[in-house]
Amino acid sequence: MLTQLASQVAELLETRADTSPDAALKRLLPEAYRGDPEAAAEFRRFTSDDLAGRKVANARVLIESVRDAAAATSATRVTLDAAEAQAWIRALTDIRLSIGARLGIETDDAVLDQGEPMVEVYNWLGFAQESLVVLL
Amino acid sequence: MSDTLSETDLDVRLDVDLRLGEPWVTLVWNDPVNLMSYVSYVFRSYFGFSQAEADKRMLLVHNEGRAVVATGTREEMERHVEAMHDFGLWATLTKADE
Repeated sequence: MLTQLASQVAELLETRADTSPDAALKRLLPEAYRGDPEAAAEFRRFTSDDLAGRKVANARVLIESVRDAAAATSATRVTLDAAEAQAWIRALTDIRLSIGARLGIETDDAVLDQGEPMVEVYNWLGFAQESLVVLL
Repeated sequence: MSDTLSETDLDVRLDVDLRLGEPWVTLVWNDPVNLMSYVSYVFRSYFGFSQAEADKRMLLVHNEGRAVVATGTREEMERHVEAMHDFGLWATLTKADE
């Protein structure tokens, strides 16, 4: 499931159009200037390909390190080096941002339907990320 | 009296000088998704803030809706904003006096 989510984020970024109104994309590649569309568009023109490319690469690192574990038939351990951990923490963030946008989470006190499977995934990813942050 | 005036003059001039040299800021905005511990981690690891400083700015973001995390040239701030977007934080740059 983690690899599926990471793949979806990578695909979203790879097939994007810069003017896409998609809420998740807008959050993954936000405006760098508020109230100055011209400067924001210019910034986007010069940075968005690289930024999206790095995000896709992070997602791929996560997918790669989970792949073997996913094929295992019993509980298994995924070991990350420092660079992989950095890719993971960013990829987990991008997945959470995408789900957050899909769920329409817009405020700190947004009430989430805890029975909703995607909310459970979102919470679990938050827990995983928190655990990783503590280790870094 | 004159002492007070000249000190004020000096302050104003110093302020103007600083603004000419460093007229842009990087702002990080509150978002409902990123964890407080993660935002603080990003501030520590990327900007080199101490834990206390990073927590202070993270709480500013959380409570006030935004915080200034860097000041400098426009080019430097664009670099910081791009790095924040790498981390998935919502950052913008603006002129310091806006």
